[in-house]
Amino acid sequence: MKQGAQKIIVYLMILIIIAVVVFPFYWLITTSIKFEGDMQTFPPIFFPARTTFQHYIDVFVKSGIGKNLRNSLVVAVSTTFLSVLFGSLAAYSIAKSYLARKFRTGFLVAVLVIRIFPPVVTTMPYFLIITRLGLYDTLISMIITYVAYCLPFVIWLMLGFFQEMPHEIEKASIVDGCSVWQRFYRISLPLTLPGLATTSVFCFILGWNEFLYASVLTSQNAKTLPVVIASYISDQRIQWGPMTATGVLLVIPVLIFAIAAQKYLVRGLTFGAVKG
Amino acid sequence: MTALKNLINKSGEMIAGRGGPLGVNYSRDRAVLWLFLAPAIIFMLFANVYPLGYALVMSFFQYNRLIPGAVPVFNGFQNYIALIRDPQIIDSFVRTILFVAATVVVEFLIGTAIALLITTTIKGMQIIRGFFLIPLMMPFVVAGTLWRTMYNALYGPINYFISWFGVPRLEWLGNPDLALPAVMITEVWQQTPIVIFILAAGIQALPVDIYQSAMVDGAGRLQILRKITLPLLKPVFFVALLLRIMDAFRIFDTIYVMTYGGPGKSTEVLSLFIYKEGLKYFKIGRASALSVMFLAVVLIATIGFLRNIQKQQL
Repeated sequence: MKQGAQKIIVYLMILIIIAVVVFPFYWLITTSIKFEGDMQTFPPIFFPARTTFQHYIDVFVKSGIGKNLRNSLVVAVSTTFLSVLFGSLAAYSIAKSYLARKFRTGFLVAVLVIRIFPPVVTTMPYFLIITRLGLYDTLISMIITYVAYCLPFVIWLMLGFFQEMPHEIEKASIVDGCSVWQRFYRISLPLTLPGLATTSVFCFILGWNEFLYASVLTSQNAKTLPVVIASYISDQRIQWGPMTATGVLLVIPVLIFAIAAQKYLVRGLTFGAVKG
Repeated sequence: MTALKNLINKSGEMIAGRGGPLGVNYSRDRAVLWLFLAPAIIFMLFANVYPLGYALVMSFFQYNRLIPGAVPVFNGFQNYIALIRDPQIIDSFVRTILFVAATVVVEFLIGTAIALLITTTIKGMQIIRGFFLIPLMMPFVVAGTLWRTMYNALYGPINYFISWFGVPRLEWLGNPDLALPAVMITEVWQQTPIVIFILAAGIQALPVDIYQSAMVDGAGRLQILRKITLPLLKPVFFVALLLRIMDAFRIFDTIYVMTYGGPGKSTEVLSLFIYKEGLKYFKIGRASALSVMFLAVVLIATIGFLRNIQKQQL
């Protein structure tokens, strides 16, 4: 009996915690489908009696976010492809012990330091360098900075996955006369496929969510969705409808990805520190 | 961190040295592996090291890009000296450290409690985890704007909820005393799940037999928690702490959309300060010097932990 009561209390507490965690997300979604008149009321309307998709139509027709959505997709996908390509090649050669240990440790520490520094430190240099190269407001410049941002993550994550592979497989393939490329492409990559998928999802989310570089390096052509959201805020007022509708559009794909990959995602979020 | 450990422990075990235990000549393989490394190294030299070097060099120059025809003029350590003497910068440093310390402490207090709570109930862990992913996955810009609407003094749900407890309406983001705590609450909401995830994974990896023998010996729950669980979790705590400290320093997007450093300068943390100096006023030299100092602070704050983790795992 005492046990049962305890259980109920535990579940009740978990329920309250979940409510706090989820409420802002619920508020985002309900606000995006409320009529203008139902948004700014006190007490706030938590269960809208009437709903509309007008804000979603507006953001596409009036604000024309179709183009920004496309930019976001192009940048995130290209970033993912390039950083996973460069990163997993590098991680593979670091994971194996052919190169001197001192060099490998040094390389990893350098990558870690790059991971540690706050992005704002490189933002202004990027802006100056990129405007001088004439690449301001282009997708190319965004992709370059994003790959630089993602690479340390990919290298550390993939390193962990490659190191976990049983060594016997690698040894056996050496005996069978596979070249390094064959061992990487034919054996190691397929065996680390879940790891590769997680890393890719993680990179995609990093690129998709990034705001600072995007806001500084773009103005019209290459503007991505996070920058659009910030632009609905002005000194006078916040356009709640379009802002929340764009927010939902931005969050939903990421959430679907994240929940699909959640088993390994914790590992990505903790930079490979927790195997979870 | 674990990767570094693996590297050090297993490197000897793997096909070691020149020639190798399998009697194959590896010099050609080694050349191919250098080729594997080349794209990443070249890319990072261009896109990571070069901008950092650029900031470092510029920090010794006086250069205001808003003045037409201005060119960088070398002025030694003048930028740094001016910064150290500027009370605004000191305030911003203090504010940043306060922000990082307070959010991380609160995240760990709440995170530890929740991690202990959810690991006691095995059922539904997957679902609970799914819920906790929501804040974590939300782009900072969305979280910031969303919380800004929730903090709205007239129509925001937060003022409605606190009215249940008899608290009058608060100007959350308009009041210089409340703005920083308000931003901190948003950060805690968004980032505590990562602490929970790390700690929960750590708790679940603890050996069960210790608990059984402790219970046989008649240890109480609190005793088990204090004498067994928490001490065993120490390495996991370190990893989580390192990650959280290093990421808390990065806060930018959330504050940018919530308050833009205001009201007054009450939420102007270093990253925002650097942003304004460099990209709004275009005082390139000054912003660069500030960036270098910021980087130094972040490295100092995290390097101790890094060392500690390495030591524990070697």
